[in-house]
Amino acid sequence: MNQSSKKILIIIPAYNEEGNIVKTIDELVSLQLPLTILVVNDGSKDQTALEAKKTGVQVLSLPFNLGIGGAVQTGFKYAYQHHFDVAVQVDGDCQHDVHFLKKLMDPVLQGEVDMTIGSRFIPPFTGYQSSFIRRIGINFFAGLISWLTDSKVTDPTSGFRVFNRKLIKVFADYYPSDFPEPEAIVIARRYHAKIREVPVEMRERIFGNSSIRYLKTLYYMIKVTFAILLDKIKTTKVHQDVI
Amino acid sequence: MSFKALTLILSIVMFAIVIELIRREKINFKYAFGWMIVSVLAIILTVFDTLLFQTADFFGFELASNFIFFTLLSVFVFLSLLMTVFLCQQNERNDKMAQKIGMLDLEVEQLKQKLEKEKK
Repeated sequence: MNQSSKKILIIIPAYNEEGNIVKTIDELVSLQLPLTILVVNDGSKDQTALEAKKTGVQVLSLPFNLGIGGAVQTGFKYAYQHHFDVAVQVDGDCQHDVHFLKKLMDPVLQGEVDMTIGSRFIPPFTGYQSSFIRRIGINFFAGLISWLTDSKVTDPTSGFRVFNRKLIKVFADYYPSDFPEPEAIVIARRYHAKIREVPVEMRERIFGNSSIRYLKTLYYMIKVTFAILLDKIKTTKVHQDVI
Repeated sequence: MSFKALTLILSIVMFAIVIELIRREKINFKYAFGWMIVSVLAIILTVFDTLLFQTADFFGFELASNFIFFTLLSVFVFLSLLMTVFLCQQNERNDKMAQKIGMLDLEVEQLKQKLEKEKK
Protein backbone atom coordinates (compact mmCIF):
# COMPACT_ATOMS: atom_id res chain seq x y z
CA MET A 1 0.00 0.00 0.00
CA ASN A 2 1.45 3.35 -0.86
CA GLN A 3 1.74 6.14 1.62
CA SER A 4 -1.00 8.43 0.37
CA SER A 5 -3.75 5.81 0.42
CA LYS A 6 -3.32 5.09 4.11
CA LYS A 7 -6.29 6.07 6.24
CA ILE A 8 -5.30 8.32 9.12
CA LEU A 9 -7.40 8.99 12.20
CA ILE A 10 -6.66 11.83 14.60
CA ILE A 11 -7.88 10.98 18.09
CA ILE A 12 -8.47 14.00 20.32
CA PRO A 13 -9.49 13.03 23.84
CA ALA A 14 -11.26 15.98 25.42
CA TYR A 15 -12.63 16.55 28.90
CA ASN A 16 -14.01 20.02 29.60
CA GLU A 17 -12.02 21.65 26.81
CA GLU A 18 -14.64 24.01 25.37
CA GLY A 19 -12.06 26.81 25.44
CA ASN A 20 -9.38 24.92 23.52
CA ILE A 21 -11.03 22.29 21.36
CA VAL A 22 -12.00 24.48 18.40
CA LYS A 23 -8.51 25.94 18.15
CA THR A 24 -6.99 22.47 18.20
CA ILE A 25 -9.32 21.30 15.43
CA ASP A 26 -8.82 24.44 13.34
CA GLU A 27 -5.07 24.04 13.51
CA LEU A 28 -5.37 20.44 12.34
CA VAL A 29 -7.74 21.32 9.52
CA SER A 30 -5.47 24.13 8.34
CA LEU A 31 -2.70 21.59 7.72
CA GLN A 32 -4.75 20.34 4.76
CA LEU A 33 -3.68 16.75 5.18
CA PRO A 34 -5.95 13.81 4.34
CA LEU A 35 -7.08 13.15 7.90
CA THR A 36 -10.22 12.06 9.69
CA ILE A 37 -10.60 13.88 12.99
CA LEU A 38 -12.37 12.19 15.88
CA VAL A 39 -13.00 14.08 19.09
CA VAL A 40 -13.67 11.72 21.99
CA ASN A 41 -15.70 13.79 24.40
CA ASP A 42 -15.05 12.11 27.73
CA GLY A 43 -18.28 12.99 29.52
CA SER A 44 -17.50 16.70 29.63
CA LYS A 45 -19.67 18.88 31.80
CA ASP A 46 -19.22 21.89 29.53
CA GLN A 47 -19.97 22.55 25.87
CA THR A 48 -16.99 20.61 24.46
CA ALA A 49 -19.13 18.33 22.29
CA LEU A 50 -21.24 21.17 20.90
CA GLU A 51 -18.21 23.34 20.13
CA ALA A 52 -16.45 20.45 18.43
CA LYS A 53 -19.52 19.51 16.36
CA LYS A 54 -19.75 23.03 14.98
CA THR A 55 -16.45 22.47 13.18
CA GLY A 56 -17.90 19.47 11.33
CA VAL A 57 -15.55 16.82 12.69
CA GLN A 58 -16.75 13.53 14.13
CA VAL A 59 -17.58 13.73 17.81
CA LEU A 60 -17.90 10.60 19.87
CA SER A 61 -19.46 11.36 23.24
CA LEU A 62 -19.00 8.93 26.10
CA PRO A 63 -22.00 8.73 28.46
CA PHE A 64 -19.80 9.48 31.48
CA ASN A 65 -16.20 10.29 32.28
CA LEU A 66 -13.86 7.34 31.78
CA GLY A 67 -10.59 9.18 32.19
CA ILE A 68 -7.92 9.80 29.58
CA GLY A 69 -7.12 6.11 29.11
CA GLY A 70 -10.69 5.07 28.44
CA ALA A 71 -11.19 7.99 26.07
CA VAL A 72 -8.07 7.30 24.03
CA GLN A 73 -8.91 3.60 23.92
CA THR A 74 -12.32 4.46 22.48
CA GLY A 75 -10.43 6.20 19.69
CA PHE A 76 -8.36 3.07 19.08
CA LYS A 77 -11.50 0.95 18.97
CA TYR A 78 -13.03 3.33 16.46
CA ALA A 79 -9.84 3.26 14.39
CA TYR A 80 -9.76 -0.52 14.45
CA GLN A 81 -13.42 -0.92 13.57
CA HIS A 82 -13.26 1.57 10.71
CA HIS A 83 -10.07 0.10 9.27
CA PHE A 84 -7.73 3.01 9.82
CA ASP A 85 -4.06 2.30 9.13
CA VAL A 86 -2.63 5.00 11.33
CA ALA A 87 -3.91 6.62 14.52
CA VAL A 88 -2.61 9.88 15.93
CA GLN A 89 -3.19 11.01 19.48
CA VAL A 90 -3.34 14.75 19.99
CA ASP A 91 -4.41 16.39 23.25
CA GLY A 92 -7.43 18.63 23.07
CA ASP A 93 -5.83 21.43 25.05
CA CYS A 94 -3.72 23.02 22.30
CA GLN A 95 -0.55 21.94 24.06
CA HIS A 96 0.72 20.12 21.02
CA ASP A 97 1.93 22.12 18.08
CA VAL A 98 0.35 20.20 15.21
CA HIS A 99 2.75 21.71 12.70
CA PHE A 100 5.01 18.85 13.72
CA LEU A 101 2.38 16.31 12.81
CA LYS A 102 3.76 15.43 9.40
CA LYS A 103 7.24 14.88 10.79
CA LEU A 104 5.74 12.73 13.51
CA MET A 105 3.68 10.65 11.08
CA ASP A 106 6.26 10.09 8.38
CA PRO A 107 8.28 7.31 10.06
CA VAL A 108 5.06 5.37 10.73
CA LEU A 109 3.59 6.02 7.28
CA GLN A 110 6.78 4.82 5.65
CA GLY A 111 6.72 1.70 7.78
CA GLU A 112 10.05 2.43 9.47
CA VAL A 113 8.62 2.21 12.98
CA ASP A 114 5.36 1.14 14.66
CA MET A 115 5.01 4.18 16.86
CA THR A 116 6.41 7.68 17.19
CA ILE A 117 6.36 9.94 20.23
CA GLY A 118 6.68 13.70 20.04
CA SER A 119 9.41 14.63 22.51
CA ARG A 120 10.01 18.14 23.81
CA PHE A 121 13.39 17.19 25.22
CA ILE A 122 15.26 16.40 22.04
CA PRO A 123 17.14 19.28 20.40
CA PRO A 124 16.82 21.49 18.42
CA PHE A 125 13.55 22.69 19.98
CA THR A 126 13.45 24.19 23.41
CA GLY A 127 9.89 25.35 23.81
CA TYR A 128 7.72 24.76 26.83
CA GLN A 129 9.25 21.98 28.89
CA SER A 130 6.82 21.62 31.79
CA SER A 131 7.33 22.62 35.41
CA PHE A 132 10.38 21.69 37.47
CA ILE A 133 8.61 19.10 39.62
CA ARG A 134 7.04 17.42 36.64
CA ARG A 135 10.36 17.37 34.82
CA ILE A 136 11.78 15.33 37.71
CA GLY A 137 8.96 12.83 37.25
CA ILE A 138 9.38 12.75 33.50
CA ASN A 139 13.13 12.15 33.80
CA PHE A 140 12.54 9.40 36.32
CA PHE A 141 10.16 7.57 33.98
CA ALA A 142 12.39 8.20 31.00
CA GLY A 143 15.19 6.41 32.85
CA LEU A 144 12.99 3.62 34.13
CA ILE A 145 11.33 2.90 30.80
CA SER A 146 14.55 3.20 28.82
CA TRP A 147 16.12 0.69 31.18
CA LEU A 148 13.18 -1.73 31.23
CA THR A 149 12.36 -1.69 27.55
CA ASP A 150 15.83 -1.35 26.16
CA SER A 151 14.85 1.62 24.03
CA LYS A 152 15.76 5.27 24.49
CA VAL A 153 12.83 7.37 25.62
CA THR A 154 13.14 10.99 26.72
CA ASP A 155 9.51 12.11 26.99
CA PRO A 156 7.40 9.21 28.27
CA THR A 157 4.45 11.36 29.33
CA SER A 158 4.03 13.03 25.97
CA GLY A 159 0.53 12.45 24.62
CA PHE A 160 1.49 13.45 21.08
CA ARG A 161 1.86 10.08 19.38
CA VAL A 162 1.38 8.14 16.17
CA PHE A 163 0.53 4.44 16.00
CA ASN A 164 0.31 1.95 13.16
CA ARG A 165 -2.38 -0.69 12.61
CA LYS A 166 -0.54 -3.28 14.68
CA LEU A 167 -0.60 -1.09 17.78
CA ILE A 168 -4.13 0.15 17.08
CA LYS A 169 -5.22 -3.46 17.45
CA VAL A 170 -3.21 -3.98 20.63
CA PHE A 171 -4.52 -0.81 22.29
CA ALA A 172 -8.11 -1.31 21.15
CA ASP A 173 -8.02 -4.45 23.22
CA TYR A 174 -6.16 -3.11 26.24
CA TYR A 175 -5.10 0.37 27.16
CA PRO A 176 -4.09 1.45 30.69
CA SER A 177 -6.59 3.70 32.42
CA ASP A 178 -5.39 6.39 34.82
CA PHE A 179 -2.10 7.83 33.59
CA PRO A 180 -1.65 5.74 30.51
CA GLU A 181 1.19 7.30 28.51
CA PRO A 182 4.30 5.80 30.17
CA GLU A 183 2.64 2.41 30.58
CA ALA A 184 1.55 2.34 26.94
CA ILE A 185 5.20 2.50 25.86
CA VAL A 186 6.00 -0.57 27.93
CA ILE A 187 3.01 -2.42 26.48
CA ALA A 188 3.99 -1.47 22.93
CA ARG A 189 7.51 -2.75 23.59
CA ARG A 190 6.08 -5.99 24.91
CA TYR A 191 4.57 -6.47 21.47
CA HIS A 192 8.01 -5.81 20.01
CA ALA A 193 6.96 -2.46 18.59
CA LYS A 194 9.64 -0.22 17.15
CA ILE A 195 9.39 3.21 18.74
CA ARG A 196 11.04 6.43 17.69
CA GLU A 197 10.94 9.84 19.29
CA VAL A 198 10.63 12.90 17.11
CA PRO A 199 11.56 16.37 18.37
CA VAL A 200 8.54 18.64 18.77
CA GLU A 201 7.71 21.87 20.49
CA MET A 202 4.98 22.08 23.06
CA ARG A 203 3.09 25.04 24.42
CA GLU A 204 1.74 25.90 27.78
CA ARG A 205 -1.98 25.33 28.20
CA ILE A 206 -4.06 28.35 27.47
CA PHE A 207 -7.30 27.48 29.26
CA GLY A 208 -7.95 25.20 32.18
CA ASN A 209 -5.78 22.89 34.17
CA SER A 210 -3.81 19.90 33.10
CA SER A 211 -5.12 16.71 34.63
CA ILE A 212 -1.93 16.14 36.63
CA ARG A 213 -1.56 18.67 39.42
CA TYR A 214 1.49 19.20 41.60
CA LEU A 215 0.21 17.38 44.65
CA LYS A 216 -0.72 14.43 42.55
CA THR A 217 2.76 14.11 41.09
CA LEU A 218 4.10 11.86 43.83
CA TYR A 219 1.07 9.58 43.75
CA TYR A 220 1.36 9.54 39.99
CA MET A 221 5.01 8.51 40.14
CA ILE A 222 4.46 5.69 42.61
CA LYS A 223 1.38 4.38 40.86
CA VAL A 224 2.86 4.43 37.38
CA THR A 225 6.11 2.86 38.59
CA PHE A 226 4.16 -0.06 40.00
CA ALA A 227 2.05 -0.30 36.86
CA ILE A 228 5.15 -0.33 34.67
CA LEU A 229 6.89 -2.96 36.78
CA LEU A 230 3.77 -5.13 36.84
CA ASP A 231 3.46 -4.80 33.09
CA LYS A 232 6.80 -6.52 32.79
CA ILE A 233 5.42 -9.73 34.27
CA LYS A 234 2.33 -9.81 32.08
CA THR A 235 2.32 -12.07 29.08
CA THR A 236 1.59 -11.26 25.49
CA LYS A 237 -1.93 -12.25 24.59
CA VAL A 238 -3.13 -13.33 21.18
CA HIS A 239 -5.91 -10.93 20.36
CA GLN A 240 -8.96 -12.02 18.50
CA ASP A 241 -12.14 -10.17 19.20
CA VAL A 242 -11.21 -6.67 20.23
CA ILE A 243 -14.38 -4.72 19.76
CA MET B 1 -31.61 -16.42 78.24
CA SER B 2 -28.59 -18.56 77.65
CA PHE B 3 -25.83 -17.60 75.30
CA LYS B 4 -26.56 -20.66 73.22
CA ALA B 5 -30.18 -19.72 72.66
CA LEU B 6 -29.20 -16.22 71.54
CA THR B 7 -26.71 -17.55 69.00
CA LEU B 8 -29.25 -20.04 67.76
CA ILE B 9 -31.86 -17.34 67.26
CA LEU B 10 -29.33 -15.14 65.43
CA SER B 11 -28.28 -17.97 63.11
CA ILE B 12 -31.88 -18.86 62.33
CA VAL B 13 -32.77 -15.20 61.69
CA MET B 14 -29.82 -14.92 59.33
CA PHE B 15 -30.87 -18.02 57.45
CA ALA B 16 -34.42 -16.70 57.22
CA ILE B 17 -33.21 -13.35 55.89
CA VAL B 18 -31.13 -15.05 53.20
CA ILE B 19 -34.12 -17.15 52.12
CA GLU B 20 -36.37 -14.10 52.13
CA LEU B 21 -33.87 -12.10 50.05
CA ILE B 22 -33.80 -14.85 47.45
CA ARG B 23 -37.58 -15.05 47.47
CA ARG B 24 -37.86 -11.31 46.87
CA GLU B 25 -35.17 -11.58 44.21
CA LYS B 26 -32.96 -9.09 46.00
CA ILE B 27 -29.96 -11.40 45.61
CA ASN B 28 -29.17 -14.05 43.05
CA PHE B 29 -28.92 -17.65 44.08
CA LYS B 30 -25.32 -17.56 42.84
CA TYR B 31 -24.33 -15.12 45.58
CA ALA B 32 -26.85 -16.29 48.15
CA PHE B 33 -25.55 -19.84 48.11
CA GLY B 34 -22.42 -18.95 50.09
CA TRP B 35 -24.49 -17.12 52.69
CA MET B 36 -26.87 -20.07 52.96
CA ILE B 37 -23.98 -22.40 53.71
CA VAL B 38 -22.61 -19.96 56.30
CA SER B 39 -25.94 -19.63 58.08
CA VAL B 40 -26.59 -23.38 58.07
CA LEU B 41 -23.11 -23.94 59.42
CA ALA B 42 -23.78 -21.41 62.18
CA ILE B 43 -26.95 -23.27 63.18
CA ILE B 44 -25.18 -26.65 63.21
CA LEU B 45 -22.28 -25.34 65.28
CA THR B 46 -24.66 -23.72 67.78
CA VAL B 47 -26.69 -26.89 68.25
CA PHE B 48 -23.71 -29.22 68.36
CA ASP B 49 -21.31 -26.89 70.11
CA THR B 50 -19.01 -29.70 71.20
CA LEU B 51 -18.12 -30.00 67.53
CA LEU B 52 -16.94 -26.40 67.64
CA PHE B 53 -14.84 -26.95 70.75
CA GLN B 54 -13.31 -30.10 69.30
CA THR B 55 -12.37 -28.35 66.06
CA ALA B 56 -10.86 -25.42 67.95
CA ASP B 57 -8.92 -27.84 70.09
CA PHE B 58 -7.76 -29.75 67.05
CA PHE B 59 -6.22 -26.61 65.54
CA GLY B 60 -4.60 -25.72 68.86
CA PHE B 61 -6.78 -22.77 69.92
CA GLU B 62 -7.11 -22.50 73.67
CA LEU B 63 -10.38 -20.63 73.45
CA ALA B 64 -13.17 -21.52 71.03
CA SER B 65 -13.96 -17.81 70.70
CA ASN B 66 -10.46 -17.15 69.35
CA PHE B 67 -11.04 -19.86 66.81
CA ILE B 68 -14.29 -18.24 65.72
CA PHE B 69 -12.70 -14.79 65.45
CA PHE B 70 -9.76 -16.15 63.52
CA THR B 71 -11.95 -18.07 61.08
CA LEU B 72 -14.31 -15.17 60.51
CA LEU B 73 -11.48 -12.72 59.96
CA SER B 74 -9.75 -14.98 57.45
CA VAL B 75 -12.99 -15.53 55.61
CA PHE B 76 -13.65 -11.80 55.41
CA VAL B 77 -10.17 -10.99 54.13
CA PHE B 78 -10.59 -13.44 51.28
CA LEU B 79 -14.13 -12.31 50.72
CA SER B 80 -13.06 -8.69 50.32
CA LEU B 81 -10.35 -9.73 47.90
CA LEU B 82 -12.97 -11.59 45.89
CA MET B 83 -15.20 -8.53 46.05
CA THR B 84 -12.39 -6.38 44.66
CA VAL B 85 -12.00 -8.77 41.75
CA PHE B 86 -15.72 -8.64 41.22
CA LEU B 87 -15.73 -4.83 41.41
CA CYS B 88 -12.92 -4.56 38.85
CA GLN B 89 -14.75 -6.89 36.53
CA GLN B 90 -17.91 -4.82 36.80
CA ASN B 91 -15.92 -1.65 36.29
CA GLU B 92 -14.32 -2.97 33.15
CA ARG B 93 -17.64 -4.11 31.76
CA ASN B 94 -19.06 -0.71 32.58
CA ASP B 95 -16.26 1.08 30.73
CA LYS B 96 -16.58 -1.22 27.74
CA MET B 97 -20.29 -0.55 27.59
CA ALA B 98 -19.76 3.22 27.82
CA GLN B 99 -17.31 3.02 24.92
CA LYS B 100 -19.69 0.92 22.90
CA ILE B 101 -22.58 3.28 23.62
CA GLY B 102 -20.46 6.21 22.48
CA MET B 103 -19.51 4.43 19.28
CA LEU B 104 -23.06 3.30 18.53
CA ASP B 105 -24.36 6.79 19.24
CA LEU B 106 -22.02 8.27 16.68
CA GLU B 107 -22.94 5.59 14.17
CA VAL B 108 -26.68 6.22 14.60
CA GLU B 109 -26.11 9.93 14.13
CA GLN B 110 -24.10 9.36 10.97
CA LEU B 111 -26.72 7.00 9.58
CA LYS B 112 -29.47 9.52 10.28
CA GLN B 113 -27.55 12.23 8.48
CA LYS B 114 -26.96 9.92 5.53
CA LEU B 115 -30.66 9.07 5.37
CA GLU B 116 -31.67 12.72 5.43
CA LYS B 117 -29.25 13.50 2.63
CA GLU B 118 -30.66 10.68 0.55
CA LYS B 119 -34.20 11.93 1.12
CA LYS B 120 -33.27 15.32 -0.24
